[in-house]
Amino acid sequence: MNPKPWWAKLGHGSLVLLATVYCLFPIYFMLVQSLKTPEEDVFGNPLIVANPTLQNFEELFERKSEVRGFVGDALLRPHPFFVWFANTLFIFAGSVVATLGVSVAAAYALGRLRPPGFRWWRRAIFATYVIPQTILFIPLYQVMITLELDDNLLALLLIYPSMALPFCVWMLSAYFQHLSREIEEAALIEGASRATAFFRIILPMSRPVLVAAGIFTLGTVASDFMIASVFLLTPVNQTITAGLGTFDVALDELAAVAGVNLLAIPVVLFSAFFARGYVRGLTAAMVEGA
Amino acid sequence: MRPRRRRREIRTAYVLLSPAVLLLLTVLAYPLGWEIWTSFTSLSPLQDGGTAFVGLENYRRQFGDPQFWRVATITVVYAALTIAAKLALGFGFALLLARPFRGRALVFLAIFLPWAYPAGVSVIGWYWSLNPPITTAYSIFLGQLKYSVDSVLGGGAWAFGSVMLFNIWRGSSFIGVLLLAGINAIPPELFECAVLESKNPWRRFRLVTVPLLKPLLALGVLLSLTTAFADLANVWMLTAGRIVFPVIGTHAYWLAIKAGQFGPASALSLTLVPFLLGVLLVLFWIFDPLERDAA
Repeated sequence: MNPKPWWAKLGHGSLVLLATVYCLFPIYFMLVQSLKTPEEDVFGNPLIVANPTLQNFEELFERKSEVRGFVGDALLRPHPFFVWFANTLFIFAGSVVATLGVSVAAAYALGRLRPPGFRWWRRAIFATYVIPQTILFIPLYQVMITLELDDNLLALLLIYPSMALPFCVWMLSAYFQHLSREIEEAALIEGASRATAFFRIILPMSRPVLVAAGIFTLGTVASDFMIASVFLLTPVNQTITAGLGTFDVALDELAAVAGVNLLAIPVVLFSAFFARGYVRGLTAAMVEGA
Repeated sequence: MRPRRRRREIRTAYVLLSPAVLLLLTVLAYPLGWEIWTSFTSLSPLQDGGTAFVGLENYRRQFGDPQFWRVATITVVYAALTIAAKLALGFGFALLLARPFRGRALVFLAIFLPWAYPAGVSVIGWYWSLNPPITTAYSIFLGQLKYSVDSVLGGGAWAFGSVMLFNIWRGSSFIGVLLLAGINAIPPELFECAVLESKNPWRRFRLVTVPLLKPLLALGVLLSLTTAFADLANVWMLTAGRIVFPVIGTHAYWLAIKAGQFGPASALSLTLVPFLLGVLLVLFWIFDPLERDAA
């Protein structure tokens, strides 16, 4: 092929730059803000931070400074941030594990064992996405009270998997369905049980798709604000998301932004580590036997 | 295959399927039933005395209410605008990343991040950055922007628009990555053939890339529809209903929580179901060719 003319290179380069800035600017903005002193937040340049400080992060763990100098301490509550952090970690990890376990089982049944009407099962599971979530939390609260799970983290461990499950089942079962029969058949002829064949052969093969399903679940779970703030009431039971929602932003804006970053940074690092695998897994779910 | 072995296989399949089905039933079946039943009654936490069965009265009154039509229009415009923007940007990202260039891995990461950034909290940061409290360095500028937008489109327009921007920012990242995965799944020989067939890149894009990505486009559209409403719901909860621009979801909250009218609120949110089901049927119709030649 002939080399590209200079204007094509320039056009491509500026598009790449534009896309990068568009995607990263809001993240950068929130990061910069969380590193500012209140003085700089009021008088400084909004786009850069001249004297970075971790004081907003410290404030999440123990109240020290007076906010903005004109608000009394009485208005400011201490936040059990360590507890929130542990709760969040528990919920995120638990939801991902639960979703993966349940959806791998269902997807294997639908994609591999293929009971009669398996397509309709898969469609019915996927169709739960059309149920509008809007005011469902009112009856859902009644369910949680019946199960004695109100104001309990375990309530979220039931609700969150149901939000990611349909997509994961769809993706995993499409992948399992695409794998050729011979892959298992050989092991079965050798006398291995279906379970052995699954755990020894199929599961290791499908690692990229499992990564994709896991990252999708994490993204779904981390995007929820409403369920967490409705179902978790007492501070010691809250996740970071629910806790930050109770901040009064007029007084606590910088601490709130610091809290946002404190949750976001681990999640982003974790997802970034698996980012390539996420794409590979999505691709594998679409390509026959990849 | 022997029928006995097949029977055992089917039994195993149902056992493996049961946790997923049970989970969905626990979380969805009773609430959905409650919502359908309530939409036929006058249930309200504010009302003394019993709840009356009113039949289709809630629906009848709703369709006669001009406020409902305003809400429905805003909902459709919101959904259409955000989806169009997300698809356009997402396609752009995917095509940009499809071919190798220096630093592609880093640009890919940048495009992946808006979706990976936990939206439950980033919506908090985003919303308060664009609608800042009075005492920040940029609040004067953004305040002026807010008032000029609001004075043209009505109070609350800027806040609503900022949620839209957020949804587009995050959704375009998700769709971009999804489509990139789709492009990777297309065998490269197909593109090589296409280059020989036609010199016009736009024609190649329309006749080769888009049809092959159809199932993924459909999936992306459905998921971005549901997240578009979830984002609004998040901000509604965050600001205790300070969004003045109502869409069907937030208006149903308003009816249920602020006005205590569970009946009309249920009726309103169920009005969405036929439309979403319609979208879903079209989706299945698009998915199916993919599943059939795989089977």
